[in-house]
Amino acid sequence: MAQIELANVTKRYGSITAVQNASFTVADNEFFCLFGPPLSGKTTILRLILGLETPDEGQVLIDGQPVNHIGPAARNIAMVFQNLALFPHMTAEQNVRFPLVERREPEARIKARVADAAAKLHIAHILHKHPGQLSGGERQRVAIARALVRDPAAYLMDDPISALDARLREEARVELKRMQREAGRTLIYVTHDQEEAMSVADRMAILEHGSIRQIGAPDALYDAPDSAYVARLLGAPVMNILPLGTLAAPDRPGATQLGVRPEDLGVRPTPDAAATVTSVEPLGGYTVLTIAAGGQTLRAMLRGQPAFQTGTPVSLTADPERLHYFGPDGRRLAG
Amino acid sequence: MSTIDLQHLVKRFGAFTALKTMDLSIEDGEFMALLGPSGCGKSTTMNMIAGMETPTQGRILFGDRDMAGVPMGRRGVGFVFQNYAIFTHMSVRRNLDYGLRMTGRPAAEIARRTSAMADLLGLTDLLDRPAQGLSVNILQRLAIGRSAVMEPAIFLLDEPLSNVDAAFRAVMRTELKALQRQFRQTMVYVTHDQLEAMTMADRIAVMDHGVLQQVGTPLQVYNTPANTFVARFIGSPGMNLFTGRLTQTAAGLAVDLGPLGISPPLGDAQAAAANGAKGDVIYGFRPEEVALADADHPAMTLPLTLTERIGARTILHLGTPGAEVRAVFQSGTPFPPGQMRLAPAPAAVRLFDAASGTALQAA
Repeated sequence: MAQIELANVTKRYGSITAVQNASFTVADNEFFCLFGPPLSGKTTILRLILGLETPDEGQVLIDGQPVNHIGPAARNIAMVFQNLALFPHMTAEQNVRFPLVERREPEARIKARVADAAAKLHIAHILHKHPGQLSGGERQRVAIARALVRDPAAYLMDDPISALDARLREEARVELKRMQREAGRTLIYVTHDQEEAMSVADRMAILEHGSIRQIGAPDALYDAPDSAYVARLLGAPVMNILPLGTLAAPDRPGATQLGVRPEDLGVRPTPDAAATVTSVEPLGGYTVLTIAAGGQTLRAMLRGQPAFQTGTPVSLTADPERLHYFGPDGRRLAG
Repeated sequence: MSTIDLQHLVKRFGAFTALKTMDLSIEDGEFMALLGPSGCGKSTTMNMIAGMETPTQGRILFGDRDMAGVPMGRRGVGFVFQNYAIFTHMSVRRNLDYGLRMTGRPAAEIARRTSAMADLLGLTDLLDRPAQGLSVNILQRLAIGRSAVMEPAIFLLDEPLSNVDAAFRAVMRTELKALQRQFRQTMVYVTHDQLEAMTMADRIAVMDHGVLQQVGTPLQVYNTPANTFVARFIGSPGMNLFTGRLTQTAAGLAVDLGPLGISPPLGDAQAAAANGAKGDVIYGFRPEEVALADADHPAMTLPLTLTERIGARTILHLGTPGAEVRAVFQSGTPFPPGQMRLAPAPAAVRLFDAASGTALQAA
């Protein structure tokens, strides 16, 4: 059981501010994701929660208690690192047992907890193997099992599946989400992959240069990004953000840029239309078109495998409800 | 002519066979992806094309020239690895024009080609910066540029994007494709990421366990996978596959899927494909090709266990352990709570032989 809170936390390294006045509260049992480009402060925030770093300003609180002065061991938070950090000379089972052996737990309890974690993560059949004999996905499950046996108040994970093959990543993220639901623990998760973040998170915090730009459920951030920055970070292909006037669209006072997601663009072949298809990527379940319009390049994402040719003039439509307006500072303008 | 012909290519390492009899013809100016999971033999194939490994059996031809005994340096191929090899003590410019200087090109030509490549890859502002201290993303872009600036007729890339972050990977996919369109090299691209292969390649060679499974355009491997491996590996998520038994129903030939119930009746093409099969088949359909069925229509009734909304697409995980179904819908589609009735579009159903996993096709 753990609620984790950052209250106006700032962390500097020399002249570099890694985290700037960050505040958020992660609820008990929540799957909370920190998302942003490299060096935006994600990993530093994990290290502050874990107790490997101390804030220069502000407080880290666990269940409402300030913990700035409490060391990592006493916080009962388990960390799964990017490189998994399994001991290569130990079997998977010895790796999983390790935290309990360190704590001198009774053997019967160790056995029970290892068996429980192994069952939850489907690794019972590989416990006798060494990490070198395991696939990337299996190593990841072993590393998570090792975190699980400690029965921590919360887990922190730093991009734990980024080293896996693309196909395994898709499966691993679903397993992670199921595991977190079953285990019922607070999980704070760092990733640089927007698809992964949106898939697993109950809520996410979007970071830029150490500052939190927006916090919310993935749906809410995707549908109503506060800024052009957040809008561009979520979604693939990225949102089209164009100078106002590129497309015929209703005006909005103060707006300088118009945003429209590729899946919200309707595309129809129309003789003499001003926009032209410049590339067609049929990806099976959907098709991505690149379109030149008014000196700008747009992407449209269409369902299925519509037959478009490069060079075809097209007209573009969009539901006005699905348009996003941004001001000169990149802030979203409400309708 | 920069065609590449692999003829009966075999590679063994001691008792281990990394590649079993590969035959593949890559056309001049073609973008060919070698796609498969770790250990499928794709990098071994690439290394033999580059001249880093010697085939145990078989031949490699560039045009009509046999490459046997031709060392790597004389094959005229450009090569980019997963782990970029950049000289960190040199500037970006010195890295980029390194090969041109080594081959003694005139200074004016070096300057022209280097600045054109820098422009293409967005490196112009960084040309006089030391390579040391640049981000992984920029270094990998530089590694690609350094190889591409030589304008090799054959360009080999081995998972060049697997160490860069996801957002940058999307940008680089577009750039690499533009690069290849511009120079029209014959490009061989090794990847485990089906999206990279689908986005960039003219054709994809899907590999598994040292065996070439299928060669085709992205839509061919997506629409008509040769076997269950290709069906599962292509697509995001891959195709749903279930072993079942052909059964005659009042509405026509269908497949008894055990815990998933009886499938909706097969379409004409699928029924014709099933004709030669007896008993067990594997029934497959793409997650994108299912629709919510109303009560009057035959459908699979499945419990919803997990929902992933990923922007435009929502992936539903349904069914029970051992009989899991994934379905993809446009986000915003309203779903009934609890049990869902789903039916694959009849034309989208694919049948495979239950024993071999090979696609069944009408004779």
